[in-house]
Amino acid sequence: MSKSTMAIPPPPLPTSKDDINGTWKYLEWGVDQIMSHLDNGVDLRTYMSLYTSIHNFCTAQKAVGSTHLNSNHRGAHLLGEELYHRLNEHLKRHLQGVHAEMVQHADEALLTYYIQQWKRYTTAGTYNNHLFRYLNRHWVKREMDEGKKDIYDIYTLHLVRWKEDMFGSTQNAVMDAVLRLVEKQRNGETIEQSKVKQVVDSFVALGIDEADSTKTNLDVYRQYFEKPYIEATQKFYENESAAFLAENSVVDYMKKAERRLDEEKERVPLYLLPEIMQPLMKCCETALIAKHAALMRDEFQILLDNDREEDMARMYKLLARIPDGLEPLRNRFENHVRRAGLLAVDKVATEGEKLDPKAYVDALLEVHTQYAALVQTAFTGESEFVRSLDNACREYVNRNKVCQKNSSRSPELLAKHADNVLKRSTKATEEDDMEKMLNQVMTVFKYLEDKDVFQKFYSQTLAKRLVHGTSASPDAETSMISKLKDASGFEYTNKLQRMFQDMQTSKDLNTTYEEWCIATFEKEDRKEGVDATYQILGTGFWPLTPPTTTFVPPPTIVKTYERFQNFYTHKHGGRKLTWLWHLCKGEIRTNFAKMNKVPYTLQVSTYQMAILLLFNDSDTVSYDDMANTTMLQKETLDPSLGIILKAKVLTASPEGAPPQSGTTYTLNHGFKSKKLKVNLNMAIKAEQKQEAEDTHKTIEEDRKMLMQSAIVRIMKSRKRMKHSELVSETISQIKNRFSPKVADIKKCIDILLEKEYLERLDDNELGYLA
Amino acid sequence: MSAEAEQQVKLVSSDNVEIVTERKIAERSMLIKNMIEDLGSPGEEPIPIMNVSEAVLRKVLEWCTHHKNDPAPTQDDDADSRKKTTDIEDWDQKFMQVDQEMLFEIILAANYMDIKALLDVGCKTVANMIKGKSPEEIRKTFNIQNDFTPEEEDQIRRENEWAEDR
Repeated sequence: MSKSTMAIPPPPLPTSKDDINGTWKYLEWGVDQIMSHLDNGVDLRTYMSLYTSIHNFCTAQKAVGSTHLNSNHRGAHLLGEELYHRLNEHLKRHLQGVHAEMVQHADEALLTYYIQQWKRYTTAGTYNNHLFRYLNRHWVKREMDEGKKDIYDIYTLHLVRWKEDMFGSTQNAVMDAVLRLVEKQRNGETIEQSKVKQVVDSFVALGIDEADSTKTNLDVYRQYFEKPYIEATQKFYENESAAFLAENSVVDYMKKAERRLDEEKERVPLYLLPEIMQPLMKCCETALIAKHAALMRDEFQILLDNDREEDMARMYKLLARIPDGLEPLRNRFENHVRRAGLLAVDKVATEGEKLDPKAYVDALLEVHTQYAALVQTAFTGESEFVRSLDNACREYVNRNKVCQKNSSRSPELLAKHADNVLKRSTKATEEDDMEKMLNQVMTVFKYLEDKDVFQKFYSQTLAKRLVHGTSASPDAETSMISKLKDASGFEYTNKLQRMFQDMQTSKDLNTTYEEWCIATFEKEDRKEGVDATYQILGTGFWPLTPPTTTFVPPPTIVKTYERFQNFYTHKHGGRKLTWLWHLCKGEIRTNFAKMNKVPYTLQVSTYQMAILLLFNDSDTVSYDDMANTTMLQKETLDPSLGIILKAKVLTASPEGAPPQSGTTYTLNHGFKSKKLKVNLNMAIKAEQKQEAEDTHKTIEEDRKMLMQSAIVRIMKSRKRMKHSELVSETISQIKNRFSPKVADIKKCIDILLEKEYLERLDDNELGYLA
Repeated sequence: MSAEAEQQVKLVSSDNVEIVTERKIAERSMLIKNMIEDLGSPGEEPIPIMNVSEAVLRKVLEWCTHHKNDPAPTQDDDADSRKKTTDIEDWDQKFMQVDQEMLFEIILAANYMDIKALLDVGCKTVANMIKGKSPEEIRKTFNIQNDFTPEEEDQIRRENEWAEDR
């Protein structure tokens, strides 16, 4: 206050200790010096004099005799009330002056003035608080101890006066100025941030707890700062976002909204209280995101169609901030992925029946891979999005164009693909690649509903790989089985593992057999046999059936297999050996082809072997002889013979005659081949197809068994149960194998009732019969 | 901080005697501590301790010197420990072995200079002088004139009967 830098000379020190007027006159001068002329400084002597005069007044003995004993039980009479009230009045008058000046200002000038006055006033307050400390320690303390709510320590008294005589009538204008300042900053102007900060501090300081004036709370700040600040913020962004969207794209808007949210967050530590963060962010999120959520979601499809990953990530981040913001997005995502999957399948499905398993699986995988990556990059791998992806994949894997006629096509094709991967091929597969491909199989497997169908086909192809020794790598086989076990449990892979065990047992058995032969037969005797290896396959575990045709093995191998049969029945009495001739094979060395010095070796099935060995006795054999000697039925004989003819090992006469009575076959002495080993043991196409069809047929039967065993298992542990509960429990137990239909389960229950595993009880309940 | 604490300050007693002491010692007095906080370090300028004579001020400073490293009292033990016990530590007990007049002067000075711990010790000492004495003995100890009328005495006795030892 520059207009009165001239120091007013002090009035005389009070002469008498209990002279209130003299004391106050001196004090008033001192307080005024401190309030208005502090920049002139206060000298030591004045400071001490002021303190001393308060002390002296408060310790004056005037009370003695003036109040009587029984007037109260307060003990010592404490003086100072008069000083307190006079100071209070003085502060009121002082603030009237400041207030009159304050209303002359507006906007930033007002802000400046408010802050300047606040600083000056509160600094003076701390001085006065120290000077009046004696009053604080005794009279004020006593009053407060007695629960008087309107008596405060001297510093708080300053704040209370400011709050009542200044704040109430100015905070509106001050806050307006603050909000205009912040708006300027939002519009890119540089502002004096410290001003806002000081206003915040001032509002916080005025939050005197009404219950205990020695404490502060944030009530004043919340009501007069936070509330209008948030309201203004919300209005600002509502206006801004509406205006921006009117002229710009949603994609650009999202960038702006993201930037604005960051800015608001960064603004908090600059000059606001951390407590405002949560309500402020919520208000910004409402104005910037929630109000425009519908618009953004509409844009989402366009972003998906155009692979705008970055924009999708931005949208995800924005919508994740508002309640229920993402659910509609997930639904759209799920639909989109499902459509993409169906489309991919449509493209490969045009090849019809001869659908290449690899092309099909690749089509399924491609879509999954693409969108799994999107979930990771754009949607931070959020579990709900992963679930949407899974739902979509499950849909298009199990219900697409290829599965339209037969829902078990997907598992069948996947199993075939797995077979191709695991089969030995001309190209050696790197271990890493193999593992990668197996993982891809598992990715699709996870989505299969008819896991039982996959199991069927997989065990069949595995059986073939093992029996024919066409597996690419035992490690890969084991790895695949353990993956399946992890995904579907021990029971699911039990038979597959037993098949492996059988292979190992067979290996050991062959060694034992060889030792047994050496021990049992003379060397010469042993020569009569043929070198052979045997595989003993447990009937229950292998998906193999005995041959459908009758067959008389050629005499050459009779001794050999009888010897083994002897050995085996001797070792394991009571076991029955069934020879699966259709799976056996052998090699025959030839010496009929005169053109070549080195003899050819033919790789043949046992049936072909029986046919060809007939030509050891004669160069020409008739079809009827062939059929009679081998006893092979026409369906097996004809195709086996066909391959031999096609390879031109035999020639038919008359030339090109169909395999029938009257046709004769002659050994082709002019036989020629590029390879020394000729493979005639090729799988017969028709047989393969038949097999697949049979498998599909058995699935229904197996499912019935699976459902029945599940029902019995449940009932055995529960003893009695409601019909509907049993159905739903059965579904939950079985659904990881396939999705059972309720009607089928009911049928199975009926069967079990008939077989008297179950009984009907009252109240629609079923009981278990042991 | 330590540099500040080792500063010297000059105090002037009511009878105009300058006493130089460490700032840290002087700041046991909240009056002096607050003043330095408000006005800054006084440097060479003497601080007038207007209500305390040299003899008493020296005595007070002796106490402050001994207690200069005591932790500042917290709000909590302000309420509890002080009220409960009239125990006084040995050094303080010896320190308080002064004539009655000096004892009261110390108490007044402690009150004026706002040295709470010293004020407590002084009051406890007086309390111990009263403890277990009859009104007559107390009057004798402190040289108090009985200015009650017999009626007044009677009334007080009746009013305070509940507190009598039986």
